[in-house]
Amino acid sequence: MLEGLVSQESLSLNSMDMSVLERLKWVQQQQQQVVSQSSNNSPELLHQILQFHGSNNDELLQGSFSQFQMIRSGFGPNYNMGYGPQHEAMDGCISRTSSCQMEPVDTMEGLLKNGTEEDRPISLKNKRKQEVKTREEEKTEKKIKVEADTESSMKGKSNMRNREASSETSKETLKGVSEIPKLDYIHVRARRGQATDRHSLAERARREKISKKMKYLQDIVPGCNKVTGKAGMLDEIINYVQCLQRQVEFLSMKLAVLNPELELAVEDVSVKQAYFTNVVGSSKHSIMVDVPLFPLDQQGSLDLSAINPNQTTSIEAPSASWESQSQSLYNTSSLGFQY
Amino acid sequence: MSSYNMVKQEFIKKWITTLHILDCSVEHPLNVTERKNAIKLSSDIAMAAARSSSTVWSRALISRSGNKTANKPMARRVLKKARNRMKNRCLTLRRNGNFTAKSGVRRRTELLKRLVPGGELIENKDYLIRETLDYIVYLRAQVDVMRTVAAVDSVTGNLTNDNN
Repeated sequence: MLEGLVSQESLSLNSMDMSVLERLKWVQQQQQQVVSQSSNNSPELLHQILQFHGSNNDELLQGSFSQFQMIRSGFGPNYNMGYGPQHEAMDGCISRTSSCQMEPVDTMEGLLKNGTEEDRPISLKNKRKQEVKTREEEKTEKKIKVEADTESSMKGKSNMRNREASSETSKETLKGVSEIPKLDYIHVRARRGQATDRHSLAERARREKISKKMKYLQDIVPGCNKVTGKAGMLDEIINYVQCLQRQVEFLSMKLAVLNPELELAVEDVSVKQAYFTNVVGSSKHSIMVDVPLFPLDQQGSLDLSAINPNQTTSIEAPSASWESQSQSLYNTSSLGFQY
Repeated sequence: MSSYNMVKQEFIKKWITTLHILDCSVEHPLNVTERKNAIKLSSDIAMAAARSSSTVWSRALISRSGNKTANKPMARRVLKKARNRMKNRCLTLRRNGNFTAKSGVRRRTELLKRLVPGGELIENKDYLIRETLDYIVYLRAQVDVMRTVAAVDSVTGNLTNDNN
């Protein structure tokens, strides 16, 4: 594309300095060589970049920039290559040519040492397009963009590239394969091979919430640890709920049989509560011996820790309270049981 | 575990009161089935009432139980508006017809929706699981309480038989 531009430039602006054009063409050829070999040789590229830097001097840069500005002004209406933003950046770069040459090279070296093959062309791409959304798109269109990058880098004479690369490389080395999040407040790291548009991000958040809930359910529903996957866990949950509901039915039937008067008598239950708290509050073994009516001896299924409603337990005179409570129990139960 | 105990406490209190009310409102020679139904009903209402009305299942349970008994002043008192809302939504759902799903997760979620009271009204899977979780906790509490009461009752039954 730039070749066409250059040829047009040569046609229209005859008074141009041929040395600059020649240099541009040379640079372009260099870049294309770099691109073609980029997939194989990283150190070679590094050398070429260094060579490139070496060949750069302020004069060349200034000259090329001024020429490009002329070109741009000359090709105003026809200029639709999308180099607009680059130009602004370029213009901003001119003043910083000398100062920022060495550091970016270091960062580039650092990048090349740390990163893989892919990181380098990715950084080259990123510096050019800061508004690129997804890594996958970049990967698929890598080659096209690299070529476009070479053209733009030709114009920018590697300074702009390196300036942007210096900002990007730190990100690259830090993040590796993760994406720069696009949204403002939901910072989700997209993994490689996953899209990051708004809908899929929201969906992923939703799925993560569901999986969190599943883990919580695992703690509550016994025996859920071995089963993985949504369907199995749902099976377990359904099983458990059905089990509990059946138990309720059975127990209510049992209570109906045991209480012919439909009187779970109020004092009865409260007495039972007091019963259990006293049991737990005081030492169990001695009292168990003293009070033969104690249900725990007979019913193994009772769990003491279950009901502890009254925290204030009278530990001082347990035996006396036991007897009184057992008396009241007898009274109420005798009233209840009339056969 | 103390929060679980508090849940059970709440449940016991509510259950006693509802059972008492039910006992007053129904005439007395009841056979076993009727007694069982009354006990189950009262315990369901108590369970739902112990959980404040912020969950879908509690409101649905109360509305469902309210349909079973004609005069149930407590149920009416507890959640009047929610009951009516739930009733309307249940009716509209049933009118829409049944969509049966065949593949795994879909089928199971529908089954779960049928099990959990008011589950059919929940479209979001996330909320369904949250409701199920809550429902399981309270169901567990109900079962534990009933089991203890039944055990104590059976023991006292044995004792009175021995004495007689």
